[in-house]
Amino acid sequence: MSSLHKGYLRLAMQSIRASRVRSFMTMLGIVISVMAVVVVVGLSEGVKQQVGNQAERYGDNVLLVRPNQHANALTGSGLPGGTGVLLTQRDVQAASASEGVSIVVPMSSIDGDIFGDQTIKSATVIATTPELVDVINQGIDYGGFLDASDGDHVAVLGSDVALHLFNDNAPLGQRFTFRGQSFIIVGVFKQFVAAPFSLEADYNRSVFIPLGSTEKLLGTAPQINQLFVKTKSDVNVKQVANNVQAAITASRGGSEDTVTLSPGDSGASSNQVLQLLALMTVAVASVALVVGGVGIMNMMLVSVTERIHEIGLRKAIGATNRQILRQFMTEALALSVIGSILGLVGAGVVIALLRLYTSLQPVVVWESVLVAVVVAITTGVLFGSIPALKAARMDPIEALRHE
Amino acid sequence: MSLIELQDVSKLYGFGDATSVALDEVALTIESGECVAVMGPSGSGKSTLMNMIGLLDRPTHGDYLLNGRRVSRLSVTRRAKIRRDKIGFIFQSFNLLGRLTALENVALPLLYKGHSMPKRNHEARTILERVGLHDKSYFYPRQLSGGQTQCVAIARALVNKPELIIADEPTGNLDTESSRLVMELLGEIHKSGNTVIFVTHNPELTRYATRVVYMQDGAIKYDEQTKLGEVGSYARKVMYAVPDTTEDDDLAGVSALMKIEKPNEKTTKPKKKRARRKATKKKTTKHKATS
Ligand SMILES: Nc1ncnc2c1ncn2[C@@H]1O[C@H](COP(=O)(O)OP(=O)(O)OP(=O)(O)O)[C@@H](O)[C@H]1O
Ligand SMILES: [Mg+2]
Repeated sequence: MSSLHKGYLRLAMQSIRASRVRSFMTMLGIVISVMAVVVVVGLSEGVKQQVGNQAERYGDNVLLVRPNQHANALTGSGLPGGTGVLLTQRDVQAASASEGVSIVVPMSSIDGDIFGDQTIKSATVIATTPELVDVINQGIDYGGFLDASDGDHVAVLGSDVALHLFNDNAPLGQRFTFRGQSFIIVGVFKQFVAAPFSLEADYNRSVFIPLGSTEKLLGTAPQINQLFVKTKSDVNVKQVANNVQAAITASRGGSEDTVTLSPGDSGASSNQVLQLLALMTVAVASVALVVGGVGIMNMMLVSVTERIHEIGLRKAIGATNRQILRQFMTEALALSVIGSILGLVGAGVVIALLRLYTSLQPVVVWESVLVAVVVAITTGVLFGSIPALKAARMDPIEALRHE
Repeated sequence: MSLIELQDVSKLYGFGDATSVALDEVALTIESGECVAVMGPSGSGKSTLMNMIGLLDRPTHGDYLLNGRRVSRLSVTRRAKIRRDKIGFIFQSFNLLGRLTALENVALPLLYKGHSMPKRNHEARTILERVGLHDKSYFYPRQLSGGQTQCVAIARALVNKPELIIADEPTGNLDTESSRLVMELLGEIHKSGNTVIFVTHNPELTRYATRVVYMQDGAIKYDEQTKLGEVGSYARKVMYAVPDTTEDDDLAGVSALMKIEKPNEKTTKPKKKRARRKATKKKTTKHKATS
């Protein structure tokens, strides 16, 4: 019996090879849907892991305070600019005074062009305090971070900026001009994997300067976009977050236009979004799979119609209806399996390209591979059974008369 | 016990007034070892008879006994298996699957029998050798001549060692030389003990038969035993009686037939009508006789 199955497989492969282009068109629906499922599930899983990694990397004891409009960690940039609401030194003091807080680091972003050896238009310049490096746990490759004793005209660069501005990994001691002020470079950060609490901000392309320099640059008190708050050890982080939020709300005269995020919050909210995204993808992919199944059905109906005479001949020389059915079912199965494999290969290529050329880090989720392949093959076989049944039930004489 | 016994087999198509009779109460017994030539004008029911004997078709009325076993009411699957094991078919054209090599085409019935690949190939090769085409084993049908194609088809019909070979106009598309080749092969198969039934429009080819059955309007009009190598006596008459398919036309092959088809169209149409009128007349007289 197994030789019979091998025989069917050979027949199926022969017929698939005989009309390669059409077979590929037949498979296309399956290919695309398998690819879509694996890539998108991989994307959302990759994002999830990035978010998860952040909590690990920056510790689970760092809070984020930011204006309310940007409470969503997924879409909000690390440093929102141009929102109506800004934080002030009073908020910093209120947060610092809250129970369980160890360090508060204000982050203030300033727009402008930077002139070094090269020019960077509208660079991201972040004015902050020396404690930042204690909060975000990020290593310095060259030099050191800002130090209170250095004065206000020093800067630390993200690794990409260093390279861009001076074509040099370690342009220590070099100067650049920003808003008419000259800054001397004292350090370069290690490559950031991701910015804390944000998927968009890219600290590798940012310049860090002391908060004290903002008065000279802007002529006003620093306009703070967000605060990093590090709690003391052995405290309830959620409780501290509530304390901080209460203190800031009080300092702002009761207006609730700020929000305090703890690592769990940001993870949770982004996970929900991601799950919704993954769910929608699965829904879209299911539709694609059904369309793929219909594609297989149509193309196989055409193929059955084209091979009516062949079916008649096979029956005349003794093929039973069941054997004809198996032949065409094997063909449907082979088409879906090959389609699934092509889809997986395509997904692998897309994932590899995304990892190489974008900041996205999609991963291969084996469950999604399994589900996509199983569902694709099931739909292919299910829809393929309709033309296969049609072929099996054909009257041999009618079929033989057909050319 | 006869190999084939048709008991008043009728095949009707359509309903009511539109009923047409393809086979009209045909009673025919064929013994094992015979070589039967079936002749008759177009539409006389030759192919229908072949399909009936070959278990591709079921009689509307009447019974069919193959080897003494009633096969006319068997299930589709049973009949397929009998076709596979006991009957070899050769058709006029498009006999082979274009995507398979000659060898694979010949081995196909064995595939449906469930034989292993080495066994299939071995037996197919043996049969191809027997028909003198083993050097064409890996040729595709489009690379074979018409005569070679039919010889491969004969090999395929033989591969299951069937008791009965049915050939519906096996030389219909062939020139004289290829026709002779194919018929020599069929004649040899008959001599080696097989029962062969073939349809032909060419009276010359009744030389290969031991019996000639002449059909008209779905009924057997004439049935005679002949000696091998001799043209049947009725067939000889037919040679002159049927003007639109003379020996020359038939032997000239497809191209000649195509040429004469156009001028003949006008003359054949009223002829068919006449034939049908005759058939209905016959039916009404029969009705009178029974009532
Ligand atoms: N499926 C069908 N539906 C209706 N009528 C049919 C059908 N098949 C055959 N017939 C009729 O049955 C009759 C016999 O047909 P058959 O094919 O047996 O003739 P034939 O003797 O083989 O002719 P030819 O020499 O042209 O091959 C014809 O009148 C044909 O029209
Ligand atoms: Mg015919």
